[in-house]
Amino acid sequence: MRDQQKLRVKASEMATRMICKSVIAAGVAGFMATVSNAAEEKIVIGVPAWPSAEVTANIISMTLEDKFGAKPELVQRGTLTILNQVGQDTIQIHPEVWLPNLETAMARLEAADAAVHLSPKGVDAAQNICASRETLEQTGVGSVADLADPEIAAQFDSDGDGKGEIWIGAPSWSSTAIEKVRAHSYGYDQTMTLLEMPEAVAMAAVDVAASLGRPIVFYCYAPHHVFKLHDIVTLDEPTYDAAKWKMADRNQDANWIENSMAATAWDQSHFHVGYSASVKDRPEIAGFLDNIAFKPDDIVEMSYAVEVERIPAEDVARAWIEANQERIGEWTK
Amino acid sequence: MFEVFARIRRFLPLLLVLPLLAGTAIAVAQTFKTQIYDPETRKWYNYDQKRALKYYRKHGQAPADFQRQVVTFRTAEKPGTIIIDGDKHFLYYVLPNFQAIRYGIGVGRDGFGWAGIVEVGRKAEWPTWTPPAEMVARDPNAAKYANGMPGGPDNPLGARAMYLYVGGQDSIYRIHGTTQPWSIGLNISSGCIRMVNEDVIDLYSRVEVGARVIVLMQGAALYKGV
Repeated sequence: MRDQQKLRVKASEMATRMICKSVIAAGVAGFMATVSNAAEEKIVIGVPAWPSAEVTANIISMTLEDKFGAKPELVQRGTLTILNQVGQDTIQIHPEVWLPNLETAMARLEAADAAVHLSPKGVDAAQNICASRETLEQTGVGSVADLADPEIAAQFDSDGDGKGEIWIGAPSWSSTAIEKVRAHSYGYDQTMTLLEMPEAVAMAAVDVAASLGRPIVFYCYAPHHVFKLHDIVTLDEPTYDAAKWKMADRNQDANWIENSMAATAWDQSHFHVGYSASVKDRPEIAGFLDNIAFKPDDIVEMSYAVEVERIPAEDVARAWIEANQERIGEWTK
Repeated sequence: MFEVFARIRRFLPLLLVLPLLAGTAIAVAQTFKTQIYDPETRKWYNYDQKRALKYYRKHGQAPADFQRQVVTFRTAEKPGTIIIDGDKHFLYYVLPNFQAIRYGIGVGRDGFGWAGIVEVGRKAEWPTWTPPAEMVARDPNAAKYANGMPGGPDNPLGARAMYLYVGGQDSIYRIHGTTQPWSIGLNISSGCIRMVNEDVIDLYSRVEVGARVIVLMQGAALYKGV
């Protein structure tokens, strides 16, 4: 009996051990599968068309690869397209969601149950109408409202139609639509032709104006390398007033310019990393994105390195990571 | 000595009819005018075809501002890039250390017609000129060159041509020489960029195929992009 009992106990112990081993094995396998899925699950990072975003997108990509074993893919798109695709989870990360520029689009996505999650630590930024310093003396322009004066505006005329010209941004930028509203609200859409072109064309025009000592006004944003390259000043305007700032959704309102209003300076701008619902479900990666905290000086240096020193964005990103291991370590804790 | 400082000012369209070389004749509109400043009389003068010809006969070259010169040019564009300012009639070739070579140019009667970023797709010495089909149809003198006028001193494209490409395709726009060196600084004829032959030879020797070319925004009707 004892022998039989011993045998049953042994059999039971063996069975238990086997079950335990199976459970452990299954657990390990499951854990490994989770890690593997986390690493292999597709992460697409959108790269909007401005230099600092090209660098920050690469920094995020390289860090995800180095610290989390992910294999991210970088795709170049317009900022609004990236945001929409993050809402749909076909792109997972937007490296620079500018606010308030994309507030309307963010609200629309949230209402459609396609919310984009923003990292809490934004970078302070600014958006203005800029001029070279000598433009102020040459033309008498001092404020954004002055551009609605036909005599002042005519001094920026480059095609003989009596109206001035002003670059208001690239066609794919969210700020460009808002600049149209601002021009309408201030009234200089009647005295000046609003130009939409890639940033490189506009910056070349600033270079030419500086070389010739000719006047120029243009949309500008900071941090940006143009402030390091030329003596640039911002035109005066009333401080931001929420009561005078209303943006209709251009996707839903054919008369969105007329139905919008923005006759004051931009609100304090800032930009954040945006990410999709699937990333939110991956706490280690979401935690890293939430911790990212670039400083305005980082952004100016990145922008200058890419645009003026012509270093590829990937190399700038790699060098930045190398020089900022401690910060990356903090962000990926 | 009639020292001038050239400056562009805009006026109402003025229709001119200019004789063309190679026996052809085309009605050409000078939509915009350049003005030049005479520091002796302290007056601005219209720099139109008549004055340009008179000036060229007297001096054998375009006004000083349109002559090739190295200028300070702070830019983010890399050396080797070309920037075309049809409004002020200048072409910049970017050099290292925030400098550029500035050349005077002549452009089409409506400026350059578009703005944007293109590239030098190919280059040619003493290029063949093929008149456009509509010119061949209306002008017997052009018709005889329907299959191409060989390069040479009478060829309207001058000594060199750089062909501007968009997305790997010929845009039909060129930077080329001219047999009308007096026309630098003016807006006449079709939409290409004309340079005096000495300048276009100089530019040609520096520019590489693939070089980026930025055409600046110029006017309300011209911002079509490419």
